Amino acid sequence: MNNSHFNNLEKPHSSVAGKLRQALIEEGIDFSVGVPCGVLRRVIDFLAHDERIMHITVNREPEAIGVAAGAYLAGKKPVIYIQNSGLFTASNDISSLLIPYRMPLVLIVSLRGCEGEDAPQHFVNGKATMPLLESFGIPYVVFEQDNDIYDVVRNLYRRAEDAQLPAVLLLKRGWDKT
Amino acid sequence: MNRESAIAAIMDVIDKDDIVVATTGLISREIFEKFDSARNFYNPGAMGLVSSIGLGIALGSDRRVIVIDGDSSLLMNLGTLVTIGKCQPRNLLHIVIDNESYGSCSEEESMSGSVSLSKLAATANYASSLTVFDESSLKHAILESEGRLGFIVTKITLGGRRDFSRPLDLVSIKDRFTRHLKGWPS
Ligand SMILES: Cc1ncc(C[n+]2csc(CCOP(=O)(O)OP(=O)(O)O)c2C)c(N)n1
Ligand SMILES: [Mg+2]
Repeated sequence: MNNSHFNNLEKPHSSVAGKLRQALIEEGIDFSVGVPCGVLRRVIDFLAHDERIMHITVNREPEAIGVAAGAYLAGKKPVIYIQNSGLFTASNDISSLLIPYRMPLVLIVSLRGCEGEDAPQHFVNGKATMPLLESFGIPYVVFEQDNDIYDVVRNLYRRAEDAQLPAVLLLKRGWDKT
Repeated sequence: MNRESAIAAIMDVIDKDDIVVATTGLISREIFEKFDSARNFYNPGAMGLVSSIGLGIALGSDRRVIVIDGDSSLLMNLGTLVTIGKCQPRNLLHIVIDNESYGSCSEEESMSGSVSLSKLAATANYASSLTVFDESSLKHAILESEGRLGFIVTKITLGGRRDFSRPLDLVSIKDRFTRHLKGWPS
């Protein structure tokens, strides 16, 4: 079934999403894998429909880590997208595969459970997301709307490559409003 | 057949250009100690993901990828069968070394004895899927499945050596693997 009826509801081009796309393309992203989250709708939309990018869907976040790691080993440039709930599901796979093997992959992670959250199932994960990443010692950034997402993403890629570590871009609800 | 003879049979019959991706625990450690090579990738942590890693490699390269999984590892990441079946990489062979146990722990019973793993793979649309009980059938099945998405459950007995060394310098293993796939000298 195709989901194009969703896309028809979109504004024709969200400039923040467009800039994110531009940054990923300029980084040479040619492979994407993840599990959907409503907050990431615009990210998934362009990853899944860009002919330069091979797009794989998986059933569970650890699979996304494994498939991306394999694609990276084969010389691809993958990006992973998941919800922060799934970051916890995949935390062992990040800490025991990506980090010890020093794979500088970028994960685009929706940050549910921050200020303004209404869904109680996200409260604990929202509080624990940054402490998890801090304790892993990997680069991350929370995108704030007064920043330029293009610069934020390019900078995050440099940090991932300098450290040879996976890095996380956190996107809050409404990140793509403008 | 035991783990030692199953692994020896696999390594004997696969092509020199094939890639080997090995699962967590004694399976990786035995392959590392006896058959270490630039074409090998080990997954000592991230239990269950060997098949997902193999899928990523198979999608990104033309080489035949031999995934050497364990029964408990597979059951830990069972959804991957569906993902792989949907992607249908013709250059992926998924071998499960099935001792119906958590062999690398204390040989606690796993659940693979209560399900047909090969039927699960067939249901998930693997192009070929079968169970083997001896080394010559295993070798035959590896050769037969060439060119299509294959699944081989290799039933083995428990026991065997446990004192293998373990892969420690993971970054070097990664670097030589990626160079190998690019065809660069190691
Ligand atoms: C997430 C996780 N849980 C538990 C372990 C401990 N562990 C290491 S190997 C292993 C069993 C693997 O069993 P199987 O895949 O059947 O291979 P076998 O050891 O039988 O060869 C377990 C449970 C682990 N490494 N990671
Ligand atoms: Mg086992």
